[in-house]
Amino acid sequence: MLAYVIRRLLLMIPTFIGILIINFAVMRLQGPTLVEQMQASSGKGSEGGGGDRKAQGAAKDVENYIDRFRRAGLDLPAVINLRGFADQDDFANRLQGALANGIYKDKPSKRNELEKDLWLAGPQGVAPLVAVLADDRLSTIHAPATVALSYCAYITIDRLTLEKMPGEQLQRIQGRNEVLRNNRILYQNNRDSGALVNDAQAAEKRARLLALFAEPQVQREYAERAGNALGAVLFHTGFTDFMSKLFTGTLYSESRKEYVFTVIADRWHVTFWLNTLSIIIAWAISIPLGIHSARRKDTLEDQVTTTGLFVAWSMPAMFFGTLLLYHFCTDSSGAKAWFPSSGLSSDGAVWLPTGQYLLDLLWHAFLPLVVLSYASFTSLSRYMRANLLEQLDADYVRTARAKGCSDDHVVYSHATRNSLVTMITLGSGLLADLFSGALIVELIFSIPGLGWLMLDAAIQQDGPLLMGSTVISVSLLLVGILIADLLYGVADPRLRSRYG
Amino acid sequence: MNALKWTLLIVTAALLVYMAVDRWREPQQLQRVSQSLDRLETALQDLSRSQKQLAEAMARQPSLDQGVRAAVVTTKTTETTATMLTTDSAVDPKIQDGNPKLGVNFLMPYDRSHYHAERQGGTFKIFEDTPRRLNPLIDSSAITNRVQALTTDSLCDRPATHPEQWSQSLAISVIISDDYKTYTFNLRRGVKWQRPVLAQQKEYAWLVKEVELTAADFKFAVDLIMDPAVDCPSLRSYYEDIDKAEVIDEYTLRVLWKKKTYNSLSASLALTPLPRHIYGRNRDGSVVPAEKLGVNFNQHWFDEEHAVAGVGAYILEEYAPDKVLRLRRNPDYWGVSYHFDAIEWNMEVKKDDAQLIAFKNGRVHAHRLMPNYYKSEILDHHEPRFAALDPQNPKAGRTGELAWERVKRLQYSYLGWNLRRPPFNDKRVRQAMSHALPKERIIKDVFFGLGVPVLSDVAPGTQYANADLKPYAFDLERAKVLLAEAGWKDSDGDGILDRLINGTKVDFRFVMKYMANVSTYENMMLIYKDELRKIGVEMNPKPFEWKELMRSFEDRDFAAMMSGWQTDWDIDYFQLWHSSQAEVQGGSNHGGFVNARVDELAVKLRETFDTSARIVIAKELQAIIHEEQPYTFFTSAEGILIWQNHGKPAKEQYLDGVDESLDRLHPLTRTEDRRMFWHFRP
Repeated sequence: MLAYVIRRLLLMIPTFIGILIINFAVMRLQGPTLVEQMQASSGKGSEGGGGDRKAQGAAKDVENYIDRFRRAGLDLPAVINLRGFADQDDFANRLQGALANGIYKDKPSKRNELEKDLWLAGPQGVAPLVAVLADDRLSTIHAPATVALSYCAYITIDRLTLEKMPGEQLQRIQGRNEVLRNNRILYQNNRDSGALVNDAQAAEKRARLLALFAEPQVQREYAERAGNALGAVLFHTGFTDFMSKLFTGTLYSESRKEYVFTVIADRWHVTFWLNTLSIIIAWAISIPLGIHSARRKDTLEDQVTTTGLFVAWSMPAMFFGTLLLYHFCTDSSGAKAWFPSSGLSSDGAVWLPTGQYLLDLLWHAFLPLVVLSYASFTSLSRYMRANLLEQLDADYVRTARAKGCSDDHVVYSHATRNSLVTMITLGSGLLADLFSGALIVELIFSIPGLGWLMLDAAIQQDGPLLMGSTVISVSLLLVGILIADLLYGVADPRLRSRYG
Repeated sequence: MNALKWTLLIVTAALLVYMAVDRWREPQQLQRVSQSLDRLETALQDLSRSQKQLAEAMARQPSLDQGVRAAVVTTKTTETTATMLTTDSAVDPKIQDGNPKLGVNFLMPYDRSHYHAERQGGTFKIFEDTPRRLNPLIDSSAITNRVQALTTDSLCDRPATHPEQWSQSLAISVIISDDYKTYTFNLRRGVKWQRPVLAQQKEYAWLVKEVELTAADFKFAVDLIMDPAVDCPSLRSYYEDIDKAEVIDEYTLRVLWKKKTYNSLSASLALTPLPRHIYGRNRDGSVVPAEKLGVNFNQHWFDEEHAVAGVGAYILEEYAPDKVLRLRRNPDYWGVSYHFDAIEWNMEVKKDDAQLIAFKNGRVHAHRLMPNYYKSEILDHHEPRFAALDPQNPKAGRTGELAWERVKRLQYSYLGWNLRRPPFNDKRVRQAMSHALPKERIIKDVFFGLGVPVLSDVAPGTQYANADLKPYAFDLERAKVLLAEAGWKDSDGDGILDRLINGTKVDFRFVMKYMANVSTYENMMLIYKDELRKIGVEMNPKPFEWKELMRSFEDRDFAAMMSGWQTDWDIDYFQLWHSSQAEVQGGSNHGGFVNARVDELAVKLRETFDTSARIVIAKELQAIIHEEQPYTFFTSAEGILIWQNHGKPAKEQYLDGVDESLDRLHPLTRTEDRRMFWHFRP
């Protein structure tokens, strides 16, 4: 048995990692770009119904947006980081492409992205950009190069690094960030004329930047931060960054400005309890129902239940839930509604004695539980019916009957027990269904749980939060599967004997 | 035997669950107890304070046996009342009209007239979104600003009756000097910082102290906004030209600007203080060194505890994200606010239909109705408790068990034309397009009447609006004439106008880009398309996702588009209409409107502070833009506000303050529904 458990546990690891990889890929495919993020601060598509924007100047503090990107790990390439191999020419070409004389003359948004992608190159972009700046032949792109350099060399300090950092180092970094900020060569990237430098101090600024990066100590520091180009290919990527943040619990949600696991810790238990309860209810009702149907096979009663269950099964939870909400939860002019329309407890429920509190909870949770579990009645009870019928035809049942056992004893002690073994596998699949169903129920009955959180994170394009909550619900699912597997082992002696 | 075993098992399990739940609820109950103790304590303080005041007032009454003492007291009080008079009562309505002037205090006096002590009471409940972070610098969303507005005041205020002007608030006077580059504020004395609820915990006992609001708290806020490490880029763009803030003495603050810009007025006057005694400290009460202040502020422990400390009318009592936010009256408040003892935000219910049901069930006192529900619930009478619409009586909606009222918004939508290329580079074509848009019909049929047609980007009825503009009436004949004048004729008889452009014949066909998933826009486009077809123009409406729409604006890759802008009390023509904003990256002059006079006036407007001069400039600007029609201005949307009038929400209270305030407020302050609710009917 122990070998069986260990084997199951080990199998969970690759499953878990596989799920993480798929989720990460999906998230990265739709993540926002720096340009979008900067635009988003001046308006939102979903607000006001028609997408009103607020007129205001373009955001000038790009550093703040770069900070946000770095905190979310979005500044790094997803899986393979080849930035370390980019040299002066690559950077020069991209800067030239980003200017008006390139291929994107009519597409300023493309140019924007080309240029602003460079801004995220980080310490790995510092050395090539300094080389571009030092090269006299590339004088047309010196201005955008100083801008890109100032963002690549900019060092983000968040609170975690702040706590560890000695004061003098902090001051040195802040001083250097300030120097970088002040020595950008100002230019206007006009649609038709390209980079127009309108900065009288352009030459001094360039000289100052070159002098700064000529210092051996500065060079050493950035080389250290950039790391080994070969090593960075696989180990300095968005995925590794995500994994390390996940396992240290420092995933940070930018839309909520809070650590992801703090946000989840507030909400997961509601979803967990609702789901557990609904599983218990689903089983407690379906099994007896299945047995009942099997014993009265092909009678009118059996046919009516089967038809009724299939009608219920084909009704989407969204529809059924809304139907319940409108008919049982809405006050009309004369009558009070039967059930509350939102939340899990009444106002002031804190003061109720525990017994009444539980009743109040049940009153609130009743309809959500119905919606969560009604769909599984059908599949579970029909499976139970089919399994039981199969067992009832078996030889040992006939033997038991021949021995003179009562009908109840035959059905409950012999046949049901054996048919339950196959039911267990169904249980694990049920868990997965429930987590997708929970979202709908939380939405309709206004229960602040994990499903809501995930939906909100998806709307806000908050990658870390989405990933964090996916990891939690996937873990719950895996635990469910594990439990089912173990029960399988307990119920089926063949398995036990195979693994000794 | 078996049955007994099972019963025993179930009973034990039930008992265990019962005990577990009991234990789990204990800390919550304890928290509530301590909250109510806290409330009791403040109430007691309140009581003893008013008792003291009463005693003082009694002592001031001259009596025979206390003649000497009373005389001393009266001389003292006359002195203080004299100083109060100079600040509060000596109002020259010509100078103190709230419009900016050099060298004098132009602020309108603080308005206490709506407050009546006998109306105080009750808990006001409403649905709101969840604020992400309660720190107004880090999170500049509307919802966080709403928490901020309830818990903190700004230096000066926009009075609800005259939102285009300024009145006293935390500052009792402001003197602008140095050609509108220096603002000197004289602060109200004796304003105390709220003690955050957090201070009850032993860990934060160092917060238990009385701290007075001083000029340093404002300087602290300005310094943080200007600190590049602080994550507030969009807020900082308003303070781009600020030089510094100076503390002259405890109650005198000076804000200096690098150049004369009209934006400095609202950015200085609307400044809110930050509690230096909290944000300048670590969790254990030790002072944060200056160089770490900015980074530390981004993830400050005080924000992580979801705490707020302000100087405003309400104290944040409880905040559970996505569940509830509860505010209670600040007994130490220096000013007057709503009459409610507590305000509770329900953040649990998020779906529109669930919110409407919860409103009908009396869970909240007021709510904002979505336009499609306005159609079904009110116009189609699905909910009989709502008062019916009566076209003769504009206040008819207020009479039902559930009352409703239309409210205006500071917003407008428009059709924008790309002026860089044919066909819309010709003024006459654009005018023809405006003549072909049946605005009134669309508002009536598609928007259920919820909208006001607009002619310019200034909200109609406000001081800057040019009332002399003649609307481009719906007139297809006139449109045809204008198109013919511009050279568009149907030469091949296919029903579509055409014209020779650079030697090739071009049909008048164009694509209209608009935002996807807005059903009203879709319907509107169909109507417009039909009308245009009648004058021989073929328009293809094409919906785009928000991101894609933004991208095509940025690339100038459109012939025509529909979008909207949120507007402000202060107008600005630079961002949208100045020619420099047409070509620069990130500029908002997407259509490429270029007009030398508009350029000149837009720059002048940014440097003009005198209100009457600004009105003259604004009206000329609107006249030029109206003539040129770079946008076909469409409508300013309206919302529907609903409230419990005679229903039975919690504790049998219903709102009377709405009726009273609706007639009192400036129509456009109703955009912020929080201002509309003042008190319950007892």
